[in-house]
Amino acid sequence: MSGERKRVIRRLESIKPLRAIIDKSYNESIEAMRRGKPVAWCMLNWWIGDVILKAIDVVPIYPENYGAVCAAFGVAEKYLSLSDSDGIPSHLCGYSRNCFGYVIRMMRELKGEIPPEAPMGGMAKPVLLLASSTICDPRYKWFQLLGRYMDTPIWILDTPMPSTIDHVMDENYVNCLVRFVVKNLREFISFLEGLLGKKMDWNRLDELVNATLELHRICFEVNELRKAVPCPMHSRDYWSVMPSVLFLLGDPKESIKLYQNLYKEVKYRVDNGICSVPEEKYRLMFSELPPWHSLALFEDLAERGWNFVIESWGYHPPKPAENLEKIEDPLERIVRYFYHFFTHYVRESVKMGVNCISISAPFIVWAKEYKVDGAMLHSLLTCRSATSHLYEMGEMLMRVWRVPSLAVEGDIVDYRVFSVDDVLRRAEAFEETMQYYRKERKKMGLDW
Amino acid sequence: MSENMKGFKFVDEVYKDPIRKVKELRGKTGRKIIGYICAYPPLEILTAADTIPFRVFGDVNEPITEGNRILPPVICSYVRSIVDLGMKGRFDFLDGLIWSHSCDCMHKGGFVYTSCVSKPVHYILEIPTTTSEEAINFFKYELMEFKGWLEKLLGREFSMDCLKEAIEKHNRQRELVKRLYDLKREDPPLITGTDTLKIISVIEALPVEEGNRILEEVLEEAEEYGSRPKKRGARLMIWGSIIDSPALLQIIEENGAYVVVDDTCVCSRQFWLHSNNPHVKTTGDLMENLAKRYLIEVKCPRLYIGSYGTLKKDYKRDLEERFGYLKDYISKWKVDGVILHSLRCCDVHGYEVPQVKDYLDMLGIPSIYIEPEYDAKTLPPLKTRIQAFLETLSQL
Amino acid sequence: MYFAGVDIGSTFTKIVIIDSKGDIISKVIVPTRAEQRKLANKIMIEALNQANLSLNEINYIIATGYGRFNVPFADRQISELTCHAKGVSALFPSVRTAIDIGGQDLKGLKIKDGKLVNFIMNDKCAAGTGRFLEVMADLLNLSLKDLGEISLKSKRKVEISSKCTIFARHEVMEKISENVPIEDVIAGLHYAIADRIVRLVSQISIEPDIVVTGGVAKNIGVVKAIEDLLGYKVLVPEDPLITGALGAAIIGKNIVEGALSRGEEIRVGCRRLEEVELYW
Repeated sequence: MSGERKRVIRRLESIKPLRAIIDKSYNESIEAMRRGKPVAWCMLNWWIGDVILKAIDVVPIYPENYGAVCAAFGVAEKYLSLSDSDGIPSHLCGYSRNCFGYVIRMMRELKGEIPPEAPMGGMAKPVLLLASSTICDPRYKWFQLLGRYMDTPIWILDTPMPSTIDHVMDENYVNCLVRFVVKNLREFISFLEGLLGKKMDWNRLDELVNATLELHRICFEVNELRKAVPCPMHSRDYWSVMPSVLFLLGDPKESIKLYQNLYKEVKYRVDNGICSVPEEKYRLMFSELPPWHSLALFEDLAERGWNFVIESWGYHPPKPAENLEKIEDPLERIVRYFYHFFTHYVRESVKMGVNCISISAPFIVWAKEYKVDGAMLHSLLTCRSATSHLYEMGEMLMRVWRVPSLAVEGDIVDYRVFSVDDVLRRAEAFEETMQYYRKERKKMGLDW
Repeated sequence: MSENMKGFKFVDEVYKDPIRKVKELRGKTGRKIIGYICAYPPLEILTAADTIPFRVFGDVNEPITEGNRILPPVICSYVRSIVDLGMKGRFDFLDGLIWSHSCDCMHKGGFVYTSCVSKPVHYILEIPTTTSEEAINFFKYELMEFKGWLEKLLGREFSMDCLKEAIEKHNRQRELVKRLYDLKREDPPLITGTDTLKIISVIEALPVEEGNRILEEVLEEAEEYGSRPKKRGARLMIWGSIIDSPALLQIIEENGAYVVVDDTCVCSRQFWLHSNNPHVKTTGDLMENLAKRYLIEVKCPRLYIGSYGTLKKDYKRDLEERFGYLKDYISKWKVDGVILHSLRCCDVHGYEVPQVKDYLDMLGIPSIYIEPEYDAKTLPPLKTRIQAFLETLSQL
Repeated sequence: MYFAGVDIGSTFTKIVIIDSKGDIISKVIVPTRAEQRKLANKIMIEALNQANLSLNEINYIIATGYGRFNVPFADRQISELTCHAKGVSALFPSVRTAIDIGGQDLKGLKIKDGKLVNFIMNDKCAAGTGRFLEVMADLLNLSLKDLGEISLKSKRKVEISSKCTIFARHEVMEKISENVPIEDVIAGLHYAIADRIVRLVSQISIEPDIVVTGGVAKNIGVVKAIEDLLGYKVLVPEDPLITGALGAAIIGKNIVEGALSRGEEIRVGCRRLEEVELYW
């Protein structure tokens, strides 16, 4: 096993306070749960649900994340076992199976009380399940199946996607989608008002939407700085702080200030040629979900000169959208932004002459913009959405940009599947491959 | 050769090679062949555009090679099979192919198809997950887009009159399929589950008028065909995902049981068997009528039905709302037991299985869950389970 | 009258002959090695000799198990799930849940009034079957027979993953290299296999009385681990391998007696006692 204490990557100082507000907000939500504040179990909804819940003062808890937490603390196996024993097929999303096991324990064995062995305060019984059809089916089927164990009201954020290149480029089509989802959100708000017995604070919602867009703008600028050679910020730093961007944890105004500090520090590094690893020999990108349990691997790889310069598209904000500030309705603003996130890399890839509609699109664009030598592709045994595009991506990166990929296998709840030793064993051979394809790219007239 | 045959004989003949038959028809009539992979694309639109809708199946006997290169094992083997066949040129004969966003695997499979296979030209139909009025409006907009794509592909538009005619023909087909299923209400049933799949596979390969003619002939011949000596046997329903090859049904029916009714995508769900009125209205806004009916009537678990947005949830009431039509199937077809089927790695059916099972338990109907791959070689181990299940229904 | 049950499993082939009272008058158990697959007829002859009977004196023969479709002298083939349920009920009329732990598969049976009403099977992976223990015995250079006794000596069992034989094997190797006492490792393995078994069978809801059969039922360590996890005592037949064949013979008896009482003809097979390749 690689030494966990090894510190090769030069971590940014301004990550620490950002990490601190993330931890603080987890603790606050646990406290809020204990005090009986209404809790909603949500799916990652790319901001359209989160801004509403925050504005109406409901504590969001993400069972998807909780699956990773349980796995890290070694209790996932117990919950998976309960889920299997209750006749739930075992090929389903690992996070959902962990949740079913947790709920079986909570509802059947403990009559609704949080299990004592549940790590990080557990998840309190919610007043609402906020499902979503974005990106993957389990994210609404799972909550529907929870109805077997809990009679908690449920809402679905139904978000169809433009599924052909023509539709991605078609303003009218996107407008139609926006209208549909905005209506859904408006109904959601009425539903919440009925459920909670209080009215939505529309001013607060408006502020939250604006703060989110501003926070994302700064985060985007920080990531633009990572295009520099050598790269000033490693993926490990981004993964540490992405919860504030993705889940809007804590007070967005506080996050904005801290992100501004982060920007300054990263800019300083760029201006002074400071790299996030001692010697940047290779620039890599990573797709999709990080191996949370084995992040120390990246220290070993950093020692070999591997700098991870960009990663996990799902965690990133998009390039700032134009003309959003002209839109008065905060719901329309955030929904347009949402669809902008899901389409703008497809448009970028088309501009580059590559018709890519899947999640591979951002990586095709990034390979060039971040001057990437290789991609690490993390296949997950029980997560279809984060895995299905990886083989295609490997082929496209090679075909379009002569960029090679290294496939690694893992799982979202069964950490034994991932082998650090295996990756390190293959590192040298992959380095030779990356060197070879650098020459090939030169022959093609590419500049990295 | 097949011109002189009719009814069951015709079905047997065409079933051997439906692609050859449909190519023949294209040759004679000039109508283009548009493939589709799931029950959501409204066939009325394809018929109105004077094309031949052709339901595309995978191949349980073809080892998946190219498909495995480009899609990981977490994608269900059915989609990998279809992409595999596409990459091997099996669908080159089609003039167009329609994928749908009916589930993740289909959606991602369609995307990968976009980047790996250039023939035939294809479209991905987007489908909402819920059934509110707004969802229906959106689906109508999507169908208009689909119509536009089709018209551009063909280089010509089609009129609402053509659409009305097409709707009438497909309404008739849904009615005839209902009557086909009625043949299985007899004891023993006049046709078997395997017969049903063959007949439906053939009508899904041919233009609607041909299909209707075949169904009428088969219905006429049914009494004679079905009166051949047959033993009574256990009457089963299959609920599940893609069963487009008779291999599984044969294993069941070899053991002396009959699949008298099904709730599966290739067969009953495509024809809205559960509906008392499977006729799309031919007055008013036709595209809206199609959107409304297709979104709601195709009983695929990918559609979220059930109380979302209500403050008082009740699991049993939800189950009744979602699966009540199964109670009708069970009583009308006198079902003794249910086989719950899901391909491995199918999320929409996988999450649904425990809930359907709960409903069947509520009704006191025995059931068994099987989870094969989309591969003929993985079926033999199921023999023991199916035989044992049938034995539990018997007196042994 | 006499009735025979032939159970051709992946690891053992078992034949039982019973009389009209249901008493066992002969039984034969041999390993189903490659050459035995051809020789089901030889095993049958041995069983007949033991009972001092000829083939024609047997009123009904039922074949069960993996190889059931290739027994040319059988009159009918019934699944091993139904046969085991019948055999276990005959030995323990109060049984509600039976767990058959074979060499390569694992079955859970729900029984009501002597009849199989629900079941669950694992024949896809080695975890929870005799194979799991075989792999471990092999790794540790111990005899399969001794594993159970050794496990009982442990004072502090080790946690071993139950999900996959390959992962478990790695864990065992790690523990051995860390000098963990062997009995603790073996106890851990027994709990791992028991956990896997309980996890599967729980899907049909485990109710007492619980009977464990199959080759692994002879392993006292596994039986104790299962009792520990369930919180119930389990029953194990004196000869845990023959319940399938016994059940098959009893079903044959019931078929014949039922037909006679209804005045129906009893159709038997062609009764070819010849060498035949058993495929599965």
